Amino acid sequence: MKKFLTSTLAAGVLALLSNQAVAACGSITMADMNWPSATLMANVDKIILEEGYGCEIELVAGATTTTFASMNEKGQPDVAAELWINAVREPLFAAMDEGRLHSARKMPITDLGEGWWVPSYTLEKNPDIKTVLDILERPDLFPAKEDPSKGEFIGCPAGWGCQLSNINLFRAFEMEKKGWILVDPGSQAGLDASMAKAVERGDNWFGYYWAPTAPVGRFGMKMMDFGVPFAGAENWDGCIAKAEQDCADPKPSSWTQSEVHTVVTTNFKDQASTAMDYFAKRIYPGDVMGKMLVYMDDNQAQGIDAAIEFLEKYEDVWTSWVTPEVASKVKSSL
Amino acid sequence: MDFWTEIPSLGRSDLRDLKKGIDASFKSFSRKYGADIEAFFDPLYFFLVKLEKILIAAPWPIILIIVAGLAYLGSRSWKLAFGSVLSFVIIGYFGMWKDMMATISLISVATIICIAIGIPIGILMSRYDRVQAAITPVLDLMQTIPIFVYLLPVVMLLGIGRVPGLIAVIVYALPPIIRLTNLGIRLVDKDVLEAADAFGSDYRQKLFSVQIPLALPNIFAGVNQTIMMALAMVVIASMIGVKGLGMPVLQSIQNQYLTLGLMNGLAIVALAIIFDRVSQRYGKRLQAHRYGKEHE
Repeated sequence: MKKFLTSTLAAGVLALLSNQAVAACGSITMADMNWPSATLMANVDKIILEEGYGCEIELVAGATTTTFASMNEKGQPDVAAELWINAVREPLFAAMDEGRLHSARKMPITDLGEGWWVPSYTLEKNPDIKTVLDILERPDLFPAKEDPSKGEFIGCPAGWGCQLSNINLFRAFEMEKKGWILVDPGSQAGLDASMAKAVERGDNWFGYYWAPTAPVGRFGMKMMDFGVPFAGAENWDGCIAKAEQDCADPKPSSWTQSEVHTVVTTNFKDQASTAMDYFAKRIYPGDVMGKMLVYMDDNQAQGIDAAIEFLEKYEDVWTSWVTPEVASKVKSSL
Repeated sequence: MDFWTEIPSLGRSDLRDLKKGIDASFKSFSRKYGADIEAFFDPLYFFLVKLEKILIAAPWPIILIIVAGLAYLGSRSWKLAFGSVLSFVIIGYFGMWKDMMATISLISVATIICIAIGIPIGILMSRYDRVQAAITPVLDLMQTIPIFVYLLPVVMLLGIGRVPGLIAVIVYALPPIIRLTNLGIRLVDKDVLEAADAFGSDYRQKLFSVQIPLALPNIFAGVNQTIMMALAMVVIASMIGVKGLGMPVLQSIQNQYLTLGLMNGLAIVALAIIFDRVSQRYGKRLQAHRYGKEHE
């Protein structure tokens, strides 16, 4: 608290002294979320907002639900660069209606989504498999270690929003009856490692994943068409996305369209209105993001290193988000 | 002047190449031998699965009888036996029975393996100072290295699930029993050993009839600590897909399900207390003759 007081005081004095650029933005906290594309975006935002708009930015680590809960309850951090809203849809829209949170940019990355994936060689070797429905008839292709007579479906790590959706879809498609086991990988490390292990050895793998991510690009994973249409928002939001006991009768459905927003607090919107224009224009093309993620993975790059690489390498992408004046400030800082 | 302000370091790209090189060689190692190493651990895996299935399939009253019996045999205390049964009933009543059985099967297998590996290593360490000097830093490493640092390579080799979880638990829970076995034997009174020598006993006789019996209190403290540390690892193990009480804890941490987290957390605590009290009482009974009570 004391630190906060001194820092606001210091910021106030600074603002009085310089009284233009700094005062336009002030000090801001941004969520540095714990997956590569989000940490890249947060670090790019940090550099551009600090160098170009004179903001003072502190990155705060966090995951989707914890970051959202903190933004919703405490108004901190001010910005979540890549918030996947499927997990927090209802409370987020409530907060937006109340005017506490705002979407500064819908879909900051193109071509993204969640679903069920298999390696592309599985599809090449089994040309009759076209959709998830076809896969579900072939549990023998994905034998489970625990019981090789059953097929193994790797779900979403415990505690993630997608865990509930996967459990309910597993029920909706009656996968248990069709001879499948749902395996909880426990963490993203577990999920990634199970995919990596299978692909490194040329085994089949069937499980939940999402794009844009490095493993999807690296291992040539293919998102499967579910073979059934999206069965309506009521089925998804009112049942599939809820806890098992709140979803008595899930219907088979393709995965809901993923919605990702850059979400900001009212405080930020008022304080840094110029930065809002930046967010409004900031869209990462899916293929550029994919290349950046493979770069980060290959080089084990931290968010800040990747942000610098991105700013240097994809100048034509980000300079279109800002005014030439801001662009030259950012460039000179590199 | 840079010399004084910048510590000499490997260049950024060299460092990156080094890391990438080690990673790549591990990956090719895993591709080449992964399947064989996995096959090596298969018996352990199927034993774990079997045990878990038996525990889950067994009728609950039988499990309760076994729990009461083991608790009483270990502690000779009706109070403790009753308390254990009551905790199990409460845990089951709140819907955590299956998870608890999965956890118990993992913990008991881990503990048995720790004892089977740990006590002989401890004995070796107590006999040869060189072995002690070599193994002590390894134990330090096992207790302090962040778990995911070694867990990820293990998962790449063996996949997610019980065996890597078991390995993680063993790595963390093994040191106390080794340390305390070593310490216990080293603390045995020199005079007693001299007396044993005077009676002409050889190393085996000294070890099994003098040193180990006298070191039992310490060895049991080691077993006890090993069980405690194994239970503490339950949540971490579930981060690589081990079923049990850790999974709901993980789920509740990420979703702020306070009650779910608290219930499963307390179930782990209850298990820990039961294991602790029973093994401690058993250890005390083993050395009761020292204090002249309950001569057996």
